[in-house]
Amino acid sequence: MTDLKVELLPGLTLANPVLTASGTFGYGREYSPYIDISSLGAVVTKGLSLAPRAGNPGVRITETACGMLNAIGLENIGIERFLKEELPFLRDSGAVVVVNFFGNSQAEYAELAARLDGVDGIAALEINISCPNVKAGGIQFGTDPGSAAELVGAVRAKTSLPLITKLSPNVTDIVTMARAVVEAGSDALSLINTLLGMAVDLQTGRPVLGNLTGGLSGPAIKPVALRMVYQVVQALPEIPVIGIGGIVCAEDALEFLLLGARAVQIGTANFIDPRTAIAVIAGMDKFLSARGYEKVTDFIGTLKPGR
Amino acid sequence: MYLFDAEIIENRRLADDISSLRLEARPEFVKAGSAGRFVMLASADERLDPLLKRPFGIVRCGRGWFEVVIKEAGKGSRNLAGLRAGVRVAVHGPLGNGYPELEKDGRPLVLVAGGIGIASIASVVFSRNFDPAALLFGAARAGELVLLEELKKTGGGRLEVAAITDDGSSGRRGLVTELLEEKLEKWSDARVFACGPGPMLQSVQRVLQARGVEGWLSLENRMACGFGVCLGCVQEMRAGVRAKVCTDGPVLVAGEVVF
Ligand SMILES: Cc1cc2nc3c(=O)[nH]c(=O)nc-3n(C[C@H](O)[C@H](O)[C@H](O)COP(=O)(O)OP(=O)(O)OC[C@H]3O[C@@H](n4cnc5c(N)ncnc54)[C@H](O)[C@@H]3O)c2cc1C
Ligand SMILES: Cc1cc2nc3c(=O)[nH]c(=O)nc-3n(C[C@H](O)[C@H](O)[C@H](O)COP(=O)(O)O)c2cc1C
Ligand code: FES
Repeated sequence: MTDLKVELLPGLTLANPVLTASGTFGYGREYSPYIDISSLGAVVTKGLSLAPRAGNPGVRITETACGMLNAIGLENIGIERFLKEELPFLRDSGAVVVVNFFGNSQAEYAELAARLDGVDGIAALEINISCPNVKAGGIQFGTDPGSAAELVGAVRAKTSLPLITKLSPNVTDIVTMARAVVEAGSDALSLINTLLGMAVDLQTGRPVLGNLTGGLSGPAIKPVALRMVYQVVQALPEIPVIGIGGIVCAEDALEFLLLGARAVQIGTANFIDPRTAIAVIAGMDKFLSARGYEKVTDFIGTLKPGR
Repeated sequence: MYLFDAEIIENRRLADDISSLRLEARPEFVKAGSAGRFVMLASADERLDPLLKRPFGIVRCGRGWFEVVIKEAGKGSRNLAGLRAGVRVAVHGPLGNGYPELEKDGRPLVLVAGGIGIASIASVVFSRNFDPAALLFGAARAGELVLLEELKKTGGGRLEVAAITDDGSSGRRGLVTELLEEKLEKWSDARVFACGPGPMLQSVQRVLQARGVEGWLSLENRMACGFGVCLGCVQEMRAGVRAKVCTDGPVLVAGEVVF
């Protein structure tokens, strides 16, 4: 048995480095018939907004080569219903809860952070900055270091909870984005969110998704995610990084840890089998134990130089 | 619901692009696999290509097995339809609500199937007794009228069966909603179960609403998870409500769906 405990942040130690990614794990409750959600490193909730959101019309998902595109449109039940109807269940289950949230404006983000601050049963917040900034003509917060930093600063001012900023990969230089949000007060980083993509249907001559474009996830994006995690860890070695993208098995997760990610999140693979995260934890232990590691932290960041 | 790997007991071709797969199942699964419920299936190899499981209706269950009928629409269905007996398939199910249990009050039941929608509709014929009942089956061409003989045999004298095709190759040419209109002319107090492509269900809903007939529609929206977490299958309903087809459905009350 390898000790899988990781200290993600001072005061936030997780039983293991395996979390579930926002938007792929519902509010946790949906998975409890299949697994003990309290045995996960943490559960990251579906992205929440101030008011409930209906999401996008039309076709919302399509499979692509070794991945999938989604254009759900951030449908969610809104913060108040979450706090009333879903959080009590999560709290009672004993799961470590990270709340993922987003807004249409900086003011909305700040209001959400204030609303969540001090709520019992929330271990940390994850800010999804891959959302259009309505004020700036719809350009995503997450693609402009200036507005991302301003946003994180505004959220930071409203909460004492640990703050994880979830980075968008749809940028030229991920390190610039990472630096900007860390300087603005983000305690940790999670990456990557989905890559913007598109699918067209030759039969109908139309885009497949109702929203035209969607977010690419699954094994197809793992190499991009590994590269970005690597770059960020190299540039900001003190900042805890959570690796996300295409993880389907323990080996995938271990690759992120090897690069220096302190934890990982599993997304799309939860759809294929709701027990995936549990299998990843078991597989991680098996791999590390077989190699004589007493602690997973002895393995994290042990990537050797390239040849 | 259960998650397990099942061996293919038999793979039988029903038409050029339609196959019947009989898969192993435990007694608990068989017990839960009531009419209109579905499974998510993928080949149990570790290639993960196709990546996501695909939804298929449970056509019928027997002692230690269940059957799905798969039309090859793309990569996922083609891959499954091509697997031979002895190969293992990853199964998640039974999922969804299934058709409502109706009171046996003598009112007729009309079953409407469009194309591969017959897989879902057949599950009603194979597992429930209704007298009187009618099966109205529409398809593109005669070759796609699969399971028809078995359904006739199972239904016996209780089940009237009528088929119609887009190209007239089975005799009558036209749309299955024409058959429905005619039937409801005689059976105005009937209840209706329907499964088929979106446009067909939309027409069925229109017919039912116009006549004030009670009915249920089984939808086939695209699904990534099948158990209520991805929100990929969400269907707009009346009064601004949204339904998850995988958990609130796939069988939804006719008249409430906004196509
Ligand atoms: C609850 C439910 C029950 C179903 N039962 C059956 C069944 O018993 N037998 C059966 O053969 N099929 C059934 N289907 C449909 C089946 O799941 C799809 O045909 C299959 O998932 C397509 O996957 P693919 O990889 O083969 O095709 P893809 O490569 O994903 O797509 C191929 C083509 O099919 C179209 N398509 C993809 N998904 C759907 C969909 N859900 N509905 C309509 N068109 C689609 C695409 O637009 C594309 O043109 C059911 C669907 C649902 C939701
Ligand atoms: C259907 C779906 C919905 C998602 N919803 C959200 C969301 O609400 N908020 C968010 O920050 N990320 C969301 N994501 C992104 C995932 O959390 C994750 O970053 C991404 O899918 C990459 O990981 P994966 O390859 O393991 O899926 C969503 C992804 C999918 C597939
Ligand atoms: S298929 Fe995922 S929510 Fe219905």
